[in-house]
Amino acid sequence: MTKVANKSGKSGDMTAYSEVALRNNAAIVEYCRTAMAALSGCTAGVLGLSGLYGFGFYVLAVIGLWILLLMRAGSKWNRYFLNRKSLLTNNFIGGLCTYVLFWTFFYTMVHVY
Amino acid sequence: MAELLLDANIRGWVFLPIVVITFLVGVLRHYVSLLIGGSQKKANIEQVQDSQALLRARLLRENGKYLTRSAFQMRRYYFNDEEVGYFLTQKRTAPASNPMTDPSMMMDMLKGNLTNVLPMIVIGGWINWMFSGFVTTKVPFPLTLRFKPMLQRGIELVSLDPAWVSSASWYFLNVFGLRSIYALVLGENNAADQSRQFQDQMSGAAVQMSVDPKAAFKAEWEALELYQHQSVLSNIESEMDVLEG
Repeated sequence: MTKVANKSGKSGDMTAYSEVALRNNAAIVEYCRTAMAALSGCTAGVLGLSGLYGFGFYVLAVIGLWILLLMRAGSKWNRYFLNRKSLLTNNFIGGLCTYVLFWTFFYTMVHVY
Repeated sequence: MAELLLDANIRGWVFLPIVVITFLVGVLRHYVSLLIGGSQKKANIEQVQDSQALLRARLLRENGKYLTRSAFQMRRYYFNDEEVGYFLTQKRTAPASNPMTDPSMMMDMLKGNLTNVLPMIVIGGWINWMFSGFVTTKVPFPLTLRFKPMLQRGIELVSLDPAWVSSASWYFLNVFGLRSIYALVLGENNAADQSRQFQDQMSGAAVQMSVDPKAAFKAEWEALELYQHQSVLSNIESEMDVLEG
């Protein structure tokens, strides 16, 4: 994840961000998020979670990924991302689509047939 | 609601094939569009020059405060001088506002249609015809009756629980759910994502192409004219003195 430190200089209270590096970080986070949605969907399906438990599991997974990302970025998270909240909420619905697909798929394979 | 017992053959011959077909069609679409070359637009050199000049002017406005006054004036002179300034001497014609009059534009749209809309209709129709009428799967969460027409396309059973999904609807679930998987497999900016491409076609591409360099130059010229140069380094010696103690 933390490939490029994108803070190039500090003068007083001004911070300059490298746009390319920011976009690179965002793309990597997006990658992680998709992988997380797919994997947690598989897990939920195999475990046979249903109803609200499944959605709760997704929220849990999103928060878990957020915490992992913040741990990886460490205390200097603002060197890599503009703000922490958007790291949590970005593409929540898109990930949910993937999650539901995988969840349904594995739930069907394991528990319905 | 009573549990249904589904034949395992449905899993092997309907449920899995739909997933595989949807995924592979997406991959195929990606490579076909690479082949036709619809995704990369060739920018002509004039457009690149224009956008680079605008970028430089914007950078000058943003970071001009780090320059000395004379250096800044020099750069502004390059862009804004009344006789030799880049923004005033470059005469750009406004591009044709109607995409229908531009043949290359038409060609792009045709290619886009060929790789995006056509497969969607053909594959969707084929799946509908080939796998019609199966109950394939059950979503693991309860749904209200309102979802019945959405998830049970092709099955008109009043008493069936809305959580059961028909084959046609399973295809659509796949289309939407696999979207981000393509990004994982094929990398960013892939052409497999049909819905986003479709949106681009409707709104984005046309707007992006018809940016008028003349108007952009004028706006940038104005902004540069109005910019008040204030060097942040003017007091640097005394500040350094303070730092030194």
